[in-house]
This record gives sequence, C-alpha cells and structure tokens, in this order.
Amino acid sequence: MSEQPIYLDYNATTPVDDQVLQAMLPYFKESFGNASSVQHAYGWDAEEAVNMARDQVGILIGVKPQNLIFTSGATEAINLGIRGAVASNESKNHIITCCSEHKAVLDTCDYLKSIGVEITILDINADGLIDLAELQAAIQENTLMVCVMSANNETGVLQEMDLISQICEENEILLFSDITQAVGKIPQNLQESNIDIAAFSSHKLYGPKGVGALYVNDLSTIAPMVYGGGHEKGLRSGTLNVPGIVGFGKACEVAGHLLNSEMDRLKKLRDFLESELLQLGGIQINGQKTNRLSHVSNVSFQDIDGSRLIRSLKGIAVSQGSACNSSVIEPSHVLKGMGISDQLAFSSLRISLGRFTSEEEVRKAIQIIRSVIEQQRMQLL
Amino acid sequence: MREIDAIIESYEQAKSTDLACVLATVVHVEGSSYRRAGARMLVDEDGMMTGAISGGCLEGDALRKALHALHQNKNKLVTYDTSDEHDAAIGAQLGCNGVIQVLFEPIDFQHSSNPIELLKRANTQNESTVIGTYFHLDKAQDQFGTTFLVNSDLSVSGSEKAKDIHDHVIQDCEAAFDQQTSLFREYIINDERQFLFLEVFNQPPTLVLVGAGNDAQLLAQMAEVLGWNIIISDGRPTHANAERFASSCQVIVTKPEEILKEVSLSDRTVFVLMTHNYRYDIAVLKVLLKEGGIPYIGILGPKKKYDRMLNDLKDEGIELTEEQHSIIHAPVGLEIGAETPAEIGLSILAEIQSVLTETNGGRLKSKDGPIHRKKNNEFKQIVIE
Repeated sequence: MSEQPIYLDYNATTPVDDQVLQAMLPYFKESFGNASSVQHAYGWDAEEAVNMARDQVGILIGVKPQNLIFTSGATEAINLGIRGAVASNESKNHIITCCSEHKAVLDTCDYLKSIGVEITILDINADGLIDLAELQAAIQENTLMVCVMSANNETGVLQEMDLISQICEENEILLFSDITQAVGKIPQNLQESNIDIAAFSSHKLYGPKGVGALYVNDLSTIAPMVYGGGHEKGLRSGTLNVPGIVGFGKACEVAGHLLNSEMDRLKKLRDFLESELLQLGGIQINGQKTNRLSHVSNVSFQDIDGSRLIRSLKGIAVSQGSACNSSVIEPSHVLKGMGISDQLAFSSLRISLGRFTSEEEVRKAIQIIRSVIEQQRMQLL
Repeated sequence: MREIDAIIESYEQAKSTDLACVLATVVHVEGSSYRRAGARMLVDEDGMMTGAISGGCLEGDALRKALHALHQNKNKLVTYDTSDEHDAAIGAQLGCNGVIQVLFEPIDFQHSSNPIELLKRANTQNESTVIGTYFHLDKAQDQFGTTFLVNSDLSVSGSEKAKDIHDHVIQDCEAAFDQQTSLFREYIINDERQFLFLEVFNQPPTLVLVGAGNDAQLLAQMAEVLGWNIIISDGRPTHANAERFASSCQVIVTKPEEILKEVSLSDRTVFVLMTHNYRYDIAVLKVLLKEGGIPYIGILGPKKKYDRMLNDLKDEGIELTEEQHSIIHAPVGLEIGAETPAEIGLSILAEIQSVLTETNGGRLKSKDGPIHRKKNNEFKQIVIE
C-alpha cells in the first residue's frame, strides 16, 4: 500500500482523539444501557454518562447543559433549529441568511422557500463578510430569524457576530448560527454573545461522526421535527446515541483544554505555510486575514488548470472548495460570493490544519504544492 | 418528631436488618427553593424515603439517583435546575427558580464515622456543632462527602480528608460558629478545587413550660410537632404528671425557687410562665432574672399582670436591665387574634420561633426580597498557597 497522504483537510472531518475513543468504548458493551431506561442500573449509567457529556459540551460553549439537544450531527441540528423555529412561530415567516452559508443552511432555506417562507440571501464582500447595513435594511416586520455562521468552513472567515446579535436583539429577531467550524477552535460563550440557536457537530473537533447538538436559549422557540418517544425534552425523539454523545462530551473537554495552545500553534504553522506559498507569486489568500480561524487557509493559484491541480496533489489531502459539494464539480459558492472568478475558484485549495498536523508535515506539503504549481505553470508556458 | 430524628431512626432500622441506604443532602442552593442547604433524605434499597430535599418535585428523580449511587457504591453529586421549565426529570413545576446541588452518599454501616453516625453525634450534643460536607461541582471529580464534625471547642471528629487545608477549615468553622450561619467554601490548592459546605447544626430549642394546666398540655403537643425538647414544671403533682403529657416530655414537680436544679440552660432554652398563679410565676421569674444568656421568657397574661410584677420586683429592689426587658415577652405571643388555648399556643410558638431566628414575625408579603435569608450563600474562594 502506498503511503497515506498528509491530511490537511481538518475542516472536512477529524480523526477521533484517543482519549475520546477510550471514553466511548465502555458504552458499546458493558454499559450499553438505554438512557431512557429509568428502572435499572444499565439505564442509570447511560443517563449519567449523557448528563456528564451534556455538561462537558455546555462548558465548552458557555451555555447551560439543559439548553442542549443532541442530534445526529450538525445538519440535523441546523434543520431542527431553522425549521423548528419556523414551525413554532405562526406570525413571522421571513428568514435572512447569507450566500456563504453551508449547504445545510442554504438547502434548508430553499426547502422552506418552497413551502412559502420568505427568504432573503445577503451577499458578502471580498473579505467574506456580510454588510451590516444590508442586514439592517433586509429586516421586515415578519422577520423571524437571521441565520449567519460564525466561522466559514471554506475560508475560516469569522462574521461579526457581536454586531449581528446586537441588530437582532434590537429588532427582536432570533439569531441562528452554524458554529460547527468554530466550536473548540476559538473561545465561545454563546450566552454572552446573545446567539439564540446554534448548531454544531462532534466530528469536527476530534469526536465521532453521527452526533451533534443544537443549542436553544429558549426551548419554546422551536418545535420538534422528529416524533416518537419524547427524548430530549420532546424536541428530538429517538434513542440517544450514548457512545457517540459520550465521545462528543469528551471531545469538547479535551478541545477546551487544548484550545488556546492549539490556536497559537496552528496559527504559526498556517502563517508559515501561507508566507512560503506566497513566494511562488500569482497567489492570493481568500477572505479577510485578521478575523479568521487560525488553522485554515484558502489559497487561489493563478495560471493553473484547476481540474489538474487537485489530481496532481497526490501527497496531500486537501479540498477544492467545500467537501460536501464535491459530488458535483462546481466552483465554490463561497469564493464566487466573494467576487472570485469561476476559473480562479476552480484553482483554489482549502487547506485546514489540525491537532495532529506537525511542522514537518507542513514543510512537506509546501514542497509538494510548490513543485506541482511550478511544474504546471511551466507546462502552460 | 424532627426530620433528623426520623432519618436517624430509619437508619437504625435499616442497619439492624442490613438494608443498604443512601443519604441525600442539599449541599447548596442558588436562587430560591423550598428546602435550603442542609435538607436531608434517607433512601433505602427498597426505595423507602425518610425526610425530604424539596417540596416533592425532586424526590422522584432523587430516588433513582440514590439507587444509582447505591449500585455504584459511590458518592454522587446531582444538579437540579428548577428554573428549567422543560426538565422532565423534575416534572411538576413549583415555580421555584433555583439551582439545587444534591449530594448522594451510600452509607457504610461498618464505618463508625459514616455521615449518619456523624449526624447522630451532632444530634446528641448539648450544643451547636458544625458538620462538614465536601463535594465538587465538577461531577467527574471525587465527592468526599460528609466526613467530619466540629464541636464548639473546635475539636474534630471524623476526618477532614485533605490535611493541607486543616487550618483553613478550622478557621472557617470558627467563623460559622461566630456568625451562627452555615458557610460555603471553595478551597483552591494548586489548581485543584474542593468545595465544602459547613453546616451549623443547632440543637432543637428546649421549651420550658412553667405551669402544667390544660393550655400547657396543648402547647406541649404543638411544640412536639416542631420537634422541640419540652420540659413541664409545676408545683402541683396533680397537674404535672406523666399521664397528662407525652412520654417525650420531661415533667418536673418542683418549688419555683428550685426550678433550675432540674433544668440546664443553653442559648436555645426558652421559658413560658403560664401557671395562672401569680406567686409561682413571679417566683420563677426572679430565679430566671439571676441567670444570663436566656434568649426568651414569655409571660402569659395581660399587660397589667406584668406591670404588677415589675412593681413588686421594684419593691424588692430588683430593677430590670435593658437587656432583661428585651428578652421578656409579656404579654406573650404574636398578635394573631388568638382566643382559644390552641390559638394562643400557635401565637406563642410563632413568637419563640421568630425570636430564636432573629426575624421580626411579620408577613412575608410585606417583605422585600427573598423569603430565606441568603447570608453567606456564595462560595467564598480561598486560595491555599
């Protein structure tokens, strides 16, 4: 078997941390109980483990554990958060979102549009940010909710959530945020930042796949999408994924411990990577440089055939645009939204570093990218 | 019977039949709740509950948590947030708005200083004690539990667990005794945390009824419900006898001058003079006035009777000090329109309760702020170098 490529696609998913795996293992066999079995110790053990995990998740994002609903992942949480809010509110049916959101938000909004909900999609500027004046102008009497992600999955750009939440609060509009890429990567205190509803998942922060959570500040603002048993306070029925939830909790705890040191370490590596690549010339870094996740770099290469680029980079695992769209080859909607041409968007890479990325790997990756770019530019000449 | 006596009785029963049990203790409350820190409940392995940690809304879930703690044979801290209206575990909503920390401790009968043995010891002292319960708000940490008892001379029984914080704990116990309020501490040693609930455990008040008439009989019954210690003293053996009073009451036939030969005083011993015999009442009052530290003396009868007492005392050269005036309550009782002996009993007991708790006996609806005093409710952080 050939050597595994260097993994630089941590925004797509992350490997499960060892501590996380160890914490999960007992809940597959010995402590396999159903968290809803209130009559015996198997159930009590499972329920306690879930409560512990809920505490751990709550601590990481600064919310009360009872305001968290476990789901199968961020996509389900996003559906529950947005559609649940629409279903629970009879008078307002207008949602404002933005063009650089993840498809989980945009497709949900598309669906809602098909059933009569009014949707406004805000543009973003070259930095990747929405214009707050445009947001203000888009607000109508019937605006229920603003959906803006805190950190973009392709560029790492951080929206100005504090200012957005202020506008929402002044207008008594719910603020929903997809915080999937931000959790465990930058400090979060949702209660302080006045975000009403937030969705995220475990597998982006070294937890298992198949588990996520929705934070809801006031549970009465959403209605359930799934019925059958009244789990999670009736808002998400279905037997709880106890091992997954335990892993999610542990992953949050570990991420909390490592957050500051990893932020610094990865920023150094990412900045080094970018400065080395910039020396090649004909390169641009997409999105604002300052307020951005410190482990993400979105780079466009001029004078390169995008379709050949990714195939030539065999030694590294990176993505071209967002991973979720990759069944259809289309230029990234995020980069297009930022005014980047289709051609340049095709020859762009999202490089995302993570907990297990070493300096050596980054150096190697630089070498690989450099030689591929130089080679392809030579051939084009 | 006091709740603590009922808990101890259930414990003894469980112990004699080797029925495993768990003690649940409210160790901290933030916001409002029906029961405060120090409320306890004993749960045996069959699910029998003695005592209460709430007004009934938490007991159902607490029962399961207790049995779970028993199953794991491990102390366990559980947080109940009654401000969360959607919490199915809590069920019925009382409209309380508090975060309640409950510690569950499986009881080891073999351990001579297990939490209930410590409570038993505290309950049989003649003075206030401080009971120490260690816990940790991070539920993943070890919960040491109710491990020690400190007497007013600061001698310790049981074990304090963490030796390096001994001096601080003792200092804080002294503060609890001084202020007569329970305290909450968060000790921080090299980034490790330890939370401690220091509960001032008071003895029940001792109510000395001077006079063994039918009204005293009723008053004794009512005080019995409160779990108070009751002593009945009278010169008439026809009235003061065991047949007329519950077996838990101490009945003394004595001359008024010799009453204190039979009664030992503490800062929670209160007197009500109600013989309906002026001479006997004033003779007892004279004896009591010679003693310091009595918190309450109530005298049944109209103001005129008390004025006459004051005059007669003055004639004998006895002038009451300011402090003596303040501890004498004559006419006895709160103004609640009491007419019948039972109503008068209620008015007297309510007054004694308010005096012992240093509250004013008014209406709660006229009170600004919370019902319960929240003095020292916060965790005081103490960093230990």
